[in-house]
Amino acid sequence: MAKTPPIRKPKKKANPLDKEGITYVDYKDTALLRKFISDRGKIRARRVTGVSAQQQRQIARAIKNAREMALLPYTATTR
Amino acid sequence: MRHYEIMVILDPDLEEQTVTPSLDTYLNVIRTSGGTIEKLDVWGRRRLAFEIKTPTGKKTEGIYAVIDLHSTPAAVAELDRQMRLNESIIRTKVLRPEVH
Repeated sequence: MAKTPPIRKPKKKANPLDKEGITYVDYKDTALLRKFISDRGKIRARRVTGVSAQQQRQIARAIKNAREMALLPYTATTR
Repeated sequence: MRHYEIMVILDPDLEEQTVTPSLDTYLNVIRTSGGTIEKLDVWGRRRLAFEIKTPTGKKTEGIYAVIDLHSTPAAVAELDRQMRLNESIIRTKVLRPEVH
């Protein structure tokens, strides 16, 4: 019999937006948005950030708006 | 009437004191069409996340300003068009906070 792979139960992360009571993700709030990008400047995945799908879309849109206005980098070359 | 939020990046070589009056003259387009300006907030000089090429060379910083206003769509489109023609305005962004 083939071994069934062990079922992993991922730990539910605390939602960082609900915790701070943020309903509108503002593209001008770079301090908040920086929590959702990697040090390379990439947008962090939802499984990493732990927000809802709707919130992830709002964050992504805010980050892209912030990038257009040079508030956040498109890429950052650390290394 | 709709609520708009406009962000502008201006040339850092400008004097910061001249920014508010010069932006204000642009906003006359809104006022004459019956719109209202809620807030004109000049952030001041700020480092850009990356260099932006302009006709006057590469810029590493810019003067940011955020304008909050209620206006008709046509007046805002005209305001944005006029601002884009000015070479000392590097970038603009018009946003409706309610739908974004």
